[in-house]
Amino acid sequence: MYHYDSLDKEIVADRSAEFREQVARRIAGELTEDQFKPLRLMNGLYLQLHAYMLRVAIPYGAMDSRQLRALADIGRRFDKGYGHFTTRTNLQFHWIGLADTPDILDALAAVDMHAIQTSGNCIRNVTADPYAGAAADELDDPRVWSEAIRQWSSLHPEFSFLPRKFKIAITGTVKDRTVAKAHDIGLMVRRNRDGVLGFEVIVGGGMGRTPFIGPTVREFLPAHRLFSYLEAILRVYNRHGRRDNIYKARIKILVSALGRDEFARQVEEEWVKIGVAGDLPDAEIARIRGAFVQKAFEVLPAKSEVYETALAADLAFARFARNNLKPHKKSGYAIVEVSLKAIGETPGDASSDQMDVVADLAMRFGQDDIRVTHEQNLVLPHIKFDDAHLVFLALKAAGLATPNINLISDIIACPGLDYCALANARAIIVAQDIAKRFADQDRAEDVGELKIKISGCINACGHHHVGHIGILGVDKKGEEFYQLTLGGSGAEDASIGKILGPALPIDKVTDAIDSLVEVYLRERQGDERFLDTFRRTGEAPFKEAVYADAH
Amino acid sequence: MKAITANRLSDGEVVFWNGGRWVEQFAEAELFADDDAQAEPTEAEARAQVTVVVDAYLIDLIESEGQWVPLSYRERIRALGPTNHLAHGKQSEGGATIAVLQHAHGAARSTGRVNLIKRK
Repeated sequence: MYHYDSLDKEIVADRSAEFREQVARRIAGELTEDQFKPLRLMNGLYLQLHAYMLRVAIPYGAMDSRQLRALADIGRRFDKGYGHFTTRTNLQFHWIGLADTPDILDALAAVDMHAIQTSGNCIRNVTADPYAGAAADELDDPRVWSEAIRQWSSLHPEFSFLPRKFKIAITGTVKDRTVAKAHDIGLMVRRNRDGVLGFEVIVGGGMGRTPFIGPTVREFLPAHRLFSYLEAILRVYNRHGRRDNIYKARIKILVSALGRDEFARQVEEEWVKIGVAGDLPDAEIARIRGAFVQKAFEVLPAKSEVYETALAADLAFARFARNNLKPHKKSGYAIVEVSLKAIGETPGDASSDQMDVVADLAMRFGQDDIRVTHEQNLVLPHIKFDDAHLVFLALKAAGLATPNINLISDIIACPGLDYCALANARAIIVAQDIAKRFADQDRAEDVGELKIKISGCINACGHHHVGHIGILGVDKKGEEFYQLTLGGSGAEDASIGKILGPALPIDKVTDAIDSLVEVYLRERQGDERFLDTFRRTGEAPFKEAVYADAH
Repeated sequence: MKAITANRLSDGEVVFWNGGRWVEQFAEAELFADDDAQAEPTEAEARAQVTVVVDAYLIDLIESEGQWVPLSYRERIRALGPTNHLAHGKQSEGGATIAVLQHAHGAARSTGRVNLIKRK
């Protein structure tokens, strides 16, 4: 993985020292809250319902055991012994004191981490395929480009005060595990007929109150021209983005208003002006790529006797392997997904002790590599099949072996009204209740891939728009109600879900989900997933079932 | 009835006004009658404590099980703690008022918070 050089370390240390001084000035009354708020937000510090929340950047969701242990330690020393992994693959601490924050930033800086650009109208943490460097069908390692963008965009003076926040996602294979099409910029890795590496560039996707699947602005951008093209996009946005209206300030509104063709034309015009001077030298990309060359993989047979024996002897392991192990590019290895969706627990939460367990496993068995997914799980990307059962047993002992990846209880939920100052309704408790209803793993496996995503407000941090079933919490005269959307997808077949009908009170939501599942099981043909059945049948049978039961 | 709440500057803790000082438990909050002419001037006084708290505002209360509790669900969560971690927040201390807050069902936006949002 990429390690900070002296310049990176200096920047982070300087920022930490600067914030220590700013905090002192705020506490002394030399800065008003209005003056201080933008400064604390630039360091990822929000004031929420019960305490301050610190959002720590995990660039492209990748970290090593030293960093995860440091997060665990911060959770113990400064929070309540846990942290919350987010859909931006960051980690949020929800019980932080302002006066402690400078010490926390120092602790982060000591392991090459920070909270810079986790808030504000700048280029936020770039997300990438969590299987980067491991996926069997990888076209290129998206960490290389993500890290280059991190360096290019960090404190970039031209892009530090954009009209609104800006999020970039990069895929690594033809499968999209990043929701690229619902990002300000989605870079979908491609190789053209000549084998040249590049990206399909999608601009103007997004969720929030105005959801869009972004249009493709360029079918194929050669990878070595990426940075001049990004600069051109951001310049057009900086020039024409709606700074007058926060609700219309995201690039998706600009792309929609101009139309895909006119937006693309303006970008191309700007791109010509910038020219190759705006690109990173090949040598710099090669330097960064060097940091991601995986340590030597062993040459192993595809079949592991140890693994096969364990599968036959341990049915719980067999279930875990079916759902949580994914194909690796190297023979004898697997990608292991670590579910942070234990039934009845808070999606995305990991205790400090659990973080330490994952860090230990990464160190002992996983080439010291850990990833965070946008679906709020962790990944050990390089586990030998020979070691998979040992890893499973250790995860199980720590409550981390829930075999539910991509199943109905693998739910995204934002912190919602339990923590967030913006939320209208709770999200976590809805997720917990649904997960408990579908706790029977046989039934969950029978239902198969079903992505439920829950947001506590229209800002859509819980990605409800792209849930196969989306759930949006709304405030009806101070009461929590939930609007269901069906047919969304955050994968390569991306789509925005359609509202099914009137919002439901909280005590009707899980029953409604149950009804939707029953309709699917009744209607499905062959190997159809929930989403496929919905797309074939349309909403009618689902709507009938939910509203017949609800009234 | 009304009460005044804010978050403490140093650690973000939810606090309530009582006679010029800030207390952590809603049970200890000073209550103002709806027609109390001192409520809004006191809110202004509370808001002026800028090195102690952030965003002080009046919250509306309703009667529940013989006690006054915050009308809005959001304010009850602030006075209790997150519903997904019952060991976290003020609710962990237990007590009669906490129990009443947990049982309360009133639901509406708090006018003081709406005013706070309008001021921003």
